[in-house]
Amino acid sequence: MSYLMTHSLLASWLYIMKDNPYEDATSTRDSYQEFLQTLRREPIPPTEAKAKGIEFEDLCYEIATGNFRPVWEPALNKKGIPKIDPNSGEPMGMTKYPRFYDAASQVADIIRGGQIQYKAKKLVEVNGMEFVLYGRLDTLKAGTIYDIKFSGSYDKGKYVDSTQHPTYMELIPEADQFTYVVSNGQNVWTETYRRDETASIFPVISDFVDWLYAVGLMETYKEHWKSL
Amino acid sequence: MIRNPLEIQDAVKKIRMLIAGYPGIGKSTLALSAPKPLHIDVDFGIDRIEPRYRKPYIQPASYQEILDDLTPENVKDFDTLVFDTGGKLISLMSLWAIQKDPKYGQRDGSLSLKGYGFVGKEFVRLMDYCFYTLQKNIVIVFHAVEEKDGDNTRLRIKVEGQTKNNVWEPMDLGGFVEIYGNDRTIGFSNCERYFAKGTRGIFGVRKIPALGPTSPNDFLTKLFEEYNATAAAEVEKNAKEQKAYEDAMAAGRAVIGTITDADTANAAMPEYKKIKHTKTSKRELDVEWNAKIKACGLTFDKSAKKYVAPAAPEDKEAK
Repeated sequence: MSYLMTHSLLASWLYIMKDNPYEDATSTRDSYQEFLQTLRREPIPPTEAKAKGIEFEDLCYEIATGNFRPVWEPALNKKGIPKIDPNSGEPMGMTKYPRFYDAASQVADIIRGGQIQYKAKKLVEVNGMEFVLYGRLDTLKAGTIYDIKFSGSYDKGKYVDSTQHPTYMELIPEADQFTYVVSNGQNVWTETYRRDETASIFPVISDFVDWLYAVGLMETYKEHWKSL
Repeated sequence: MIRNPLEIQDAVKKIRMLIAGYPGIGKSTLALSAPKPLHIDVDFGIDRIEPRYRKPYIQPASYQEILDDLTPENVKDFDTLVFDTGGKLISLMSLWAIQKDPKYGQRDGSLSLKGYGFVGKEFVRLMDYCFYTLQKNIVIVFHAVEEKDGDNTRLRIKVEGQTKNNVWEPMDLGGFVEIYGNDRTIGFSNCERYFAKGTRGIFGVRKIPALGPTSPNDFLTKLFEEYNATAAAEVEKNAKEQKAYEDAMAAGRAVIGTITDADTANAAMPEYKKIKHTKTSKRELDVEWNAKIKACGLTFDKSAKKYVAPAAPEDKEAK
């Protein structure tokens, strides 16, 4: 029997490890409850920030794939009737672009031509257990894995400890680098990790497995993360 | 002029570099080891540098003064522009921005959100001007500050607001200077302590040789030479890999383009398998292949090892 292992699950666990020392793992802090929800694969309603991130990502994809169409808004007179240009006889109005459009266009320029939402999986063995390492890459293009982040509080180096690039680099051995494409809706920055700068994900998985056993959550994990 | 990417390296490339580290660790002296530097001493800190390592300098009191000084004529005898420090440069730039347009400032004299955006863009513009128009190497020095992240202590460059992210964007190299034992080092690879930037074979942690009474201060001059020597080979290698990748993608897409039904899909299979893959071309093309097969409504018959069209309704009835 093998079990699914994702970067999100590991990230959720590492988040409580940061906040919550090992011996205090039974506390009822929100991050711990969120981790338990993730472990039980219960849906977590998206926060406002997450919803904004999804909106931004979708816009990037629409632009990158040529599917974006701006909304044309007719100009109306006081009576609410569309105005007509007296010279051309055409309806008057203006093209409206959504918020974040400029930043999303910059991101789209980076990811254009790549495979969007590329799904990858790989069978791995850690601590004698079989796992199906799984990830959905935002974009895979010419040896680079791209992940789009929407962040209002970005500092260069923010993702150095992330489990995402180690997991995805393990999933795609042919990739030579992983680039986080980060935006706050106005600016776009990139943060790249080469393969030689990327730590292995296996020690993290190994620690996670040990921790699950130690706190008696291994059965919960096995129940909800069976690989079909 | 359209140029062949395989012929990019026909001249010595100018380099943009960021140096960060604690105050007093020797960043300015290190920065002045670059080839023929003009020291733009925004920090007014030249007196902290040993006299024998000092170089021609300007001490601008405003950002406008920097803009006025950095003309092609004024800098024609220099190869490198050393901005010392970047933090102070951005402070001057901020004052200049607020004077230019009050909406870039707040009542307390700090930058507004729009101001940060403007200064970030101006920083990139200045770097582009020095690099592309003046055609100089750029070395920009930043103080480092410690930031706590859980149990870890990280080093970050000392700049206000989101500008700290913008300053990294145009850089070819970015290194943190630290002291290990008696050695000064500069690290160009990302690690738990800091975010750095290495390219063209300049990676990892380099030891900075101690400067003796007679030793030349030429660490960056040699590093830039190494960068350019590696760059030629690496650019060529990357260009070849990129071409191989693009060829594979083009060949794959051409084969996929021939598929219209089961017969053409089966005929395309041997051609598709012949493609020599580079980088992630196989994974990317496989997605396009599968999408085309799906669009044609085909399924793969594992026993016959070929694609088959779905049975027509009358066939189903006959069965």
